[in-house]
Amino acid sequence: MTDKQYQITLKLNGQTRSFEVEEGETLLHVLRERAGLTGAKKGCDLGECGACTVILDGRAVNSCCVFAVSADGKQVETIEGIGSEEHPHPLQQAFMDAGAIQCGFCTPGMIMAAKALLDRNPHPTREEVRQAMSGNLCRCTGYEKIEQAIAMAAEVVASYAEGKEGDRA
Amino acid sequence: MSEEKNYQIVNKEVPRLESWKKASGQAVYTDDIRLPNMAYAALVRSPYSRAKVLSIDVSEAEKVPGYLGCLLPEEVPQEFFNCSGNPPSPLLMKDEQVLTMEPKVLGDRIACVAAETEQAAREAADLVKVEYEELMPYLSISQAMNEKAEPLQPHIAQNDNIIEHRKVSQGDRAVGEAESDIILEDHFVTQPMQHATIELTSCVCDFSDGKHLTVYSTSQTVFQERRIMAEILGMKETDVRFSKPMVGGGFGARQQLHAQHVAALMSKKIGRPVNLSYTREEDLYSVVRHGSDVDLRIGASKDGKLKLFDTTFRLNAGPYTTHTPTVVAAASRKLQYNVPNYFFDGLSVYTDDITGGAFRGYGNTQLTFGREILMDRLAQALNMDPVEFRLMNHVQVGECFPCASIPVSSNGIEECARRCQAIQAEIDAKSPLVDNEDVRQAWGIAFSCHGSGPSNKDGLSGAVVMLNDDATVQLLVGSADIGQGSETMESQIAAECLGIPLSSVKITAADTLTTPYNTGTFGSSQTFICGNSVELACKDLKRKVLDQLKNIYPDSEVVEKEHSYQIHGSEDLELSFEEATRKIMFDLKGGVMIGAGTYKAAACPNPFAVCFVKAEYHKKLNAIRLLDIIEVADVGTPINRMTVAGQLEGGIAQGVGYALYERMEINPRSRRTQASDLLHYRIPQMDDMPQTYVDMVDSYDPYGPHGAKSVGELATVPVAPAIVNAVRHASGQELNSLPLCDKFIILPSRRKEEA
Ligand code: FES
Ligand code: FES
Repeated sequence: MTDKQYQITLKLNGQTRSFEVEEGETLLHVLRERAGLTGAKKGCDLGECGACTVILDGRAVNSCCVFAVSADGKQVETIEGIGSEEHPHPLQQAFMDAGAIQCGFCTPGMIMAAKALLDRNPHPTREEVRQAMSGNLCRCTGYEKIEQAIAMAAEVVASYAEGKEGDRA
Repeated sequence: MSEEKNYQIVNKEVPRLESWKKASGQAVYTDDIRLPNMAYAALVRSPYSRAKVLSIDVSEAEKVPGYLGCLLPEEVPQEFFNCSGNPPSPLLMKDEQVLTMEPKVLGDRIACVAAETEQAAREAADLVKVEYEELMPYLSISQAMNEKAEPLQPHIAQNDNIIEHRKVSQGDRAVGEAESDIILEDHFVTQPMQHATIELTSCVCDFSDGKHLTVYSTSQTVFQERRIMAEILGMKETDVRFSKPMVGGGFGARQQLHAQHVAALMSKKIGRPVNLSYTREEDLYSVVRHGSDVDLRIGASKDGKLKLFDTTFRLNAGPYTTHTPTVVAAASRKLQYNVPNYFFDGLSVYTDDITGGAFRGYGNTQLTFGREILMDRLAQALNMDPVEFRLMNHVQVGECFPCASIPVSSNGIEECARRCQAIQAEIDAKSPLVDNEDVRQAWGIAFSCHGSGPSNKDGLSGAVVMLNDDATVQLLVGSADIGQGSETMESQIAAECLGIPLSSVKITAADTLTTPYNTGTFGSSQTFICGNSVELACKDLKRKVLDQLKNIYPDSEVVEKEHSYQIHGSEDLELSFEEATRKIMFDLKGGVMIGAGTYKAAACPNPFAVCFVKAEYHKKLNAIRLLDIIEVADVGTPINRMTVAGQLEGGIAQGVGYALYERMEINPRSRRTQASDLLHYRIPQMDDMPQTYVDMVDSYDPYGPHGAKSVGELATVPVAPAIVNAVRHASGQELNSLPLCDKFIILPSRRKEEA
């Protein structure tokens, strides 16, 4: 165990927050143990399940594989920051409506991975969706409804982009 | 067959009540719980399957900054127990200890270390020096059953390693043989499979005062876990509380105690709450679906009537009994065909392989695998259609499964098969079967059944429904929602019974402190067993409301009609449920309305499913690819159509993994597990899944709440044999073992529009 501490600053869900972290500490650990954000889940801590997915400077990453020190100064988006119960993100709404949530343990990571995809590519093909999501494991749903939910959300996101439904809060 | 019912809330698609919590990251799972002053524990585990511990040295571990303490085998209760979350039964031999000096399988618990952080606890656990004498492990059933093998649990099986030998039969073997014009037989082997819930096994135990224990854990069976824990610790059940937070999947893996006992004892020792969570590697070797080794013979007459079903069914238990004999017993009760001569010889066998436990399908999966493959070969040998051959032998309403005592109460299997055929025709119309020099495509099918609740009728559930003055209700049930959606479903049943909106039901579930007893979430019980108790509790509540109104209006006639109350007498009134509630609560003759229901399984209705699989074989590569999977089920009235579809889709995915590549066992040469992470223990990813189609047929079971039967386990049972049957037709190869990656290259499933 190293005692060496570093100070890092994250732009976390839009807020600037500083943390004292250890050298080998992961971003997932900082989020869960220091920032009090337990939405990102630990399903392996090895970069294999995607349950810990967050968005780092616009890219979906497995936060268990990112050293906290390397995230210093960067933007971090987590599931807690993308919508509220009154104004859920279209992906959150679609996951609920499509029944894409069973035990829900994979859900935050799934939604964040899908959000990174839609932010970059509002009109993904099914193949692009399946490839982008293949690092996120789900043991409950068989993925059918997750795929449907992402397609449903993509339509909503695209219609926002085209200004059809006005601005999202 | 289906009863005409005008349902308002059941038989609809209803998103889970806790969806927003889960979609927003606010849902609290065990490892999200932070208690003040909480410490972390890690286990010291045996690297050997079968060894003796000679010495344990903690001096290096003690030097780790943050080290808090260590728990050694001599410090914990020594009595044997059985960790399985079943009600007590003579079949559940006690042969496991909290910590052991005689590890019998890789991963056995030797000691436990606590520290201020999880990382420090793991570091300290790694530094505990344990000296072992390594012994020769028996990893296979045949090694363990060899007459020269030493007994692994001498206090249970003195001379052999057979935990229990179960014989079930009807008819006469010789008659069955004589009446059969054709008898096919084979030896079928299925591999151990791991549940791979995405949430890791975890518990937080607070036993700081040494008197009252609170456990938050990944649990399917809180009441059984409380009972076993109280027995181990010599406590009263009232002093032990199991409270289930959100659980990230179970599939049977959490139908048992895992390490809550160690964490509790550690909490007592250091006087602080303790979090003990597994790594993925620990999870992978903690428990598996039993590997099986099955001899099976099926005989039929020329006209296709089954005459003989004769099996020797062996399950690899690993070194602890846990569930094994009940898994064997459950397997014996799943023969959905009429066979006059039925012989089931079931063996639960100790080995030093990974401990077998409960897994979705519970014995049904293993026996149905060989059965449905042999049924396919028989149909072919008899020159009959595989669907019609199965249907003509299928048990009908009013008839019993072989060796069963309760007749089948509803049966939509034929509609399931016809619906599958209709979907199949649509698929083939769009993309006809390919058969050229490189690729051959083919369909394979399988039938399956299950029970609704444990097949030995162990199921028991209480429910309490308390009426609030605004006509909302608090519903209390002991059943554990582990992601399958039972809380939503029980709430729907209550809302439908009471004629109130779903949003007026607030459910509390699976907390031994506040909710009534429930056998547990296993055996696909919750719709049927718990659902019936909820229906009874609601009926009780309505009866009490009516009685109270009669009290309030003594000179009038009071009748309930479609959830409102008509009062005729000195005054003529019609009160809505809400008005009646308010009247009852605040009238001078008011009362507190509490409905209670208890349901003891009087029946175990069988749900049925049919699965069709389209696969292709690449001749030059010896490779296979799954294209389409259809599964249609008769689950009685689907309480929540969205959840039932989700169960079918998820069950298909687990069946795909089982059939193609999942395997978790100790390699006999390396004596290590074959996989220690999810890269090597591969479960299907989104891109691996073929196109799936699921549906439910119109059906109604007279014993189910609103006509419902179960779905959870059923969903996964027919998938592997249907896949194998498709592959056998496509490849022309006879197959009798899993996973198929042993024989074929597995090509990623590609959806047709992308091909
Ligand atoms: S926890 Fe990060 S990928 Fe699994
Ligand atoms: S919903 Fe359970 S793992 Fe995806």
